[in-house]
Amino acid sequence: MAIKILSVDDSRTIRLIVGKAFKPYEVAVIEAANGEEGLATAAREKPDLIILDVTMPVMDGVTMLTKLKEDEALKAIPVIMLTAESGRENVLQIAKLGVRDYLVKPFKEDQLLEKAGRCITLVKRPVLQPA
Amino acid sequence: MSAATDNKQYDELAKRYGIAAIPESVARLTQMVSSQDADVDDIVRVIEKDPALTARLLRVANPGADGPEEYTVDSVDQALMRNGIGCALLLAMGTPLSSALVKTFQTMLSLKIESVDPHQLIGLAGPHMLGSIGFAGKVAGHVYLRMSLNAAKVVATRILGIPGAELGPDEIRDATGELLNIMTGNFKSNLCDAGLACKLEPPRVGVTEDYSTPVEPGGGLEYIAFRTSEFNIFVEVTANPWNG
Repeated sequence: MAIKILSVDDSRTIRLIVGKAFKPYEVAVIEAANGEEGLATAAREKPDLIILDVTMPVMDGVTMLTKLKEDEALKAIPVIMLTAESGRENVLQIAKLGVRDYLVKPFKEDQLLEKAGRCITLVKRPVLQPA
Repeated sequence: MSAATDNKQYDELAKRYGIAAIPESVARLTQMVSSQDADVDDIVRVIEKDPALTARLLRVANPGADGPEEYTVDSVDQALMRNGIGCALLLAMGTPLSSALVKTFQTMLSLKIESVDPHQLIGLAGPHMLGSIGFAGKVAGHVYLRMSLNAAKVVATRILGIPGAELGPDEIRDATGELLNIMTGNFKSNLCDAGLACKLEPPRVGVTEDYSTPVEPGGGLEYIAFRTSEFNIFVEVTANPWNG
């Protein structure tokens, strides 16, 4: 079964970039546009990794992370924060809640792949040879 | 937990996560301005030690001048006297904004961009893309990002790696909004670290012909401009540092 990554970000741009970054790998990237959608999708899909933004409408990333860590069925899913916010208070609070890693925007796809590769095994998709 | 322990923990986490620190002069300046009883001489000393901050302050203090040769206010203390200490906060806010924009172009767009004196550039005309984000809390204001419609398309094309012909208006607007999000997220962190806690509003992006920039009551305005080989970008920051 393919590895599932859940990208939670209100920016379609970031979700597209995340999807593009993992395209060469045996990974299914699923998306949610806010924390509330993210929690529901995580409960339904049981992803192997969550890539989570902080500032989002409806439910922000810190609230989603808090609720995720309170849920016995979901708390073991590794989370990488992907956010433009690197303020002291935010970073300390998020680290205490328990995240695997933190990536500050702007970022390179390589950085995201490297951090994701520490949480899950990334296997390249076979390249189809022309007949 | 003590502030020293928090600082030590943060430094360790920042190292582990690869979070870059903002320039010491900018962090110091934000902290000083955030405490409203800051000594003006101390602020002057911090700004004078940083040539980039000094140049920007003098530009703000001489809004009608086309270059340093036309400056009537030519020292940091004169500039602060004339514009008030609040404008020092605009400077401190502009630095993380500028560096985040430059870094975003380098890392996510592979396009070289440089900060330039706005007077060196020909301004936009007619319809253009405008993105704005408000922030509110102990400091309140807005960040505006303006660029031509073609520039917005190039930004979206490069950031998403999708050919321009395949991009719809939603993708172009969303890419502009994300650029703005990245810039303001970085400067918000600096403000919060200095004790000026504030929250960002969702970005608003659209095409407009309106070039007016509303300034917060009692606040100031700074123009920042950027040049690439293909287009220019204009950023305006308005803020009232004594909101709280």
